[in-house]
Amino acid sequence: MDLPQILANSLVRAAELSLLAIGLTMVYDILKFANFAHTDYAILGAFLVYLFNRTFGLNMFFSVMLAALVTGVVGIGIDKAVFKPLRRMEAKVVTSMICSLGIAIALRNIVRLIWTSGTKTYPLPLMRPLEILGARLTPVQIGIIFTGFISMVAFHLLLHRTKFGKALRAISDNRVLASACAIDSERMIRWMWFLACSYGVVGGTMIAVEHLLYPRLGFDIIIPVFCAAILGGIGNPYGAMLGALTLALAENIVLALDFGYLASLDGLFDFGSIQISTGYKPAISFVMLIAVLLLRPTGILGKK
Amino acid sequence: MKKSMLTIKNLQKDFGSLRALDRVSLEVEDDSIIGLIGPNGSGKTTLFNVVSGFYEKDEGEIYFKGERIDGLTPDRIVRKGLCRTFQVAKAPERLTVLENMMLAAKSQMGENPFSALFRRPRVSSFEKANLERAMELIELLQLADLKNEYAANLSGGQKKLLSLGRVFMLDPDLILLDEPTAGVNPTLTMELMKVIKELQKREHKSFFIIEHSMKVISDICDKVFVLNFGKKLAEGTPEEIQQDEEVLEAYLRGA
Amino acid sequence: MPLINFLIYFLTMIGIYSVLAMSLNFQVGFTGLINFGQVAFFCIGAYTSSLLVVKAGAPLIVGFLGGMALSGLFGYIISIPTKSLKADYWAIATLAGGEVIRLVALNEKGLTEGAFGVMSIPQPFDWFFSRDTYPLFYLLLIVACVVTVYFALSLLTNSPFGRNLKAIRDEEDLCLSLGKNTRKLKLEAMVVAGMVAGLAGALFAHYITYISPENFRPIETFLMWAMIIVGGRGNHLGAILGAVVIQLFNISTRFIGGYVPFGSDFMSALRMVIIGVLIVLFLLYRPEGLIKERTKVYDLQGNNMK
Repeated sequence: MDLPQILANSLVRAAELSLLAIGLTMVYDILKFANFAHTDYAILGAFLVYLFNRTFGLNMFFSVMLAALVTGVVGIGIDKAVFKPLRRMEAKVVTSMICSLGIAIALRNIVRLIWTSGTKTYPLPLMRPLEILGARLTPVQIGIIFTGFISMVAFHLLLHRTKFGKALRAISDNRVLASACAIDSERMIRWMWFLACSYGVVGGTMIAVEHLLYPRLGFDIIIPVFCAAILGGIGNPYGAMLGALTLALAENIVLALDFGYLASLDGLFDFGSIQISTGYKPAISFVMLIAVLLLRPTGILGKK
Repeated sequence: MKKSMLTIKNLQKDFGSLRALDRVSLEVEDDSIIGLIGPNGSGKTTLFNVVSGFYEKDEGEIYFKGERIDGLTPDRIVRKGLCRTFQVAKAPERLTVLENMMLAAKSQMGENPFSALFRRPRVSSFEKANLERAMELIELLQLADLKNEYAANLSGGQKKLLSLGRVFMLDPDLILLDEPTAGVNPTLTMELMKVIKELQKREHKSFFIIEHSMKVISDICDKVFVLNFGKKLAEGTPEEIQQDEEVLEAYLRGA
Repeated sequence: MPLINFLIYFLTMIGIYSVLAMSLNFQVGFTGLINFGQVAFFCIGAYTSSLLVVKAGAPLIVGFLGGMALSGLFGYIISIPTKSLKADYWAIATLAGGEVIRLVALNEKGLTEGAFGVMSIPQPFDWFFSRDTYPLFYLLLIVACVVTVYFALSLLTNSPFGRNLKAIRDEEDLCLSLGKNTRKLKLEAMVVAGMVAGLAGALFAHYITYISPENFRPIETFLMWAMIIVGGRGNHLGAILGAVVIQLFNISTRFIGGYVPFGSDFMSALRMVIIGVLIVLFLLYRPEGLIKERTKVYDLQGNNMK
């Protein structure tokens, strides 16, 4: 097992997942429902980045900013049209959850309508991976880790050093009390959606750049993202970061393990080589999700 | 000396830093009607929730008919003969008043898929018997006109009466009633008190009642416990309690 | 002539989906169990039956019963955690569970032939009918199954068991306070629902004679959800109506393709957008669905309408 490489790959994956998980966990924390459309917002944004960057030739930074803006507006619009009325009707949260499923289907297929089902890639020049501390990482991957890190620091600062973050935390703790303190929770909710969608767009773009971009990507990553959020402790943004890292490590380690070797007790028996086929990679997060839900639904960090 | 039906020893329940129940000990005897009073927030409903298995205790022991029941699931506790009503009456919206009563019937058949499909004759006969008992109780509670009404359409007070009817269907040994007369008109309240006294005398059931109305308490309770800030403040007959200095102060301060 | 064949195919598929919708409705509309992995039952029923018959040479009836049994077992397994899981966590877990099942079907090539799928699945009684009349026979078989399932589920929902389930959906704490073992009841509901959906899977496999993991993507679960939301939760007829409406929509738009200048990929995506929007619209403006469940009895004049 090449530990440094596993760690490096995990950091990249964790960076991608954590930005998505943070948004998901925020929505769950403040609006109390699991937003099944979250990753589809992110992928819509990723497609917009592709549009601005590849089709219109805008540079990457501005493409992402613009796409985050547009996606944020979409998120706010959908909240206004769907979730706000549900809040006003005092509908059960499961209704919002099922609605989010409908929204997910719609968004995913709107993307498909506009950009077709085909897979998009970012044609990057062939780069030589750099050797850092025994692991090989391409500059893109290093960029992803860096961006992820900066984004998470920014999030932390936002949450704890700004008035906005303070208000957000107040709403998360006790919405009624917060409105008594003249915090306009509807306005805060709009900003929350903007933040969740924007972070999602960055995360989605990172995945698109490093791998592939296609309309169904939203569904393909929803479960790993849920897993990361729940693993770390749903509702807790730091948990989302930790959960993402844990999941990423688990995925890479499990695939690298040779169970035949382990079972043979270092050569005592001979089981041949038993490795989990890479086709099961998605299943790892699914199984971990189920395991976490069964064994420790509050996650590693629990709620704050 | 009556046998003990429910014995609570040093019960403690915390919600984070809030101590809702602070080493409460009390005993509800067989064949009696016991009251539980206290200012709002004193822990009365919490006590019921812990005893009936809906909340987990932090410390203490609970004995019912000599057996320890703390830690059991609510439904198991009910099957042992201890049941309760809720402060805000619950009623499944899609079932009618009659169906609600039948839901609660003690001995039913057809509650699992196999017997529901393949033992229909037996299920029918049990249903018939339960229906008769349900109608009796519905008449008693003056809900007869509403028997086919969906629970969604009942008023709060009517739902409270329905709750009462349901627990009577369960035929338990000890009934915990959480504010049974709140929202019920005075004449009906008197009727209810009569029914409770009747049931206690005739079938030797025991009642543990949370109430705010001292009139109801003095009317039917043999003994009263007073809670304040999660602690047992006093116990005694209704007359003794009404003259207790500490109790009066607690209510005045809490008001 | 081809039109009649298509009509028979269309009705047969509606029938199969009706059974699936009734199964999902039993979980969601009656018991309140939010299952986002319904396709797993469909998949297990289809694969079990086909593999038993094709690979193990079992008689068809064994295949069908095996499919139902294994689906029922899966229902049992996934409902074990309902005690400790809140509704939304369980929903996520079932979504994951459904995908795991599909991945197993995809990756366990030795067992399921992986992406190649199971081919040449035999059809019941095919020796008895000519090639032309067989589809009609199968349609009648499906209709018989739909009717049987409808009556069986109605029997269950009108029984004390059904009463308990309806009460669990609305007020689970109350059920506990009335001595009901809600965990056991949910388990039983899931086993029944699993068996019914497994039957649909077997019927599907032996109809189209070729299945692969591609038939069991999550989109199937979402279609079934659309069916019960549009048709009406909490009543069996609503589930059937939902299946009719959604399938009608699905299949009719395939024909417009010829008259409209859009490609099939576009039409397929547009269909799904409309389905997603339908789900949201119904939940916002008509949550009871097309066929309402009875709860309100008074009209505006205060007259008892029932």
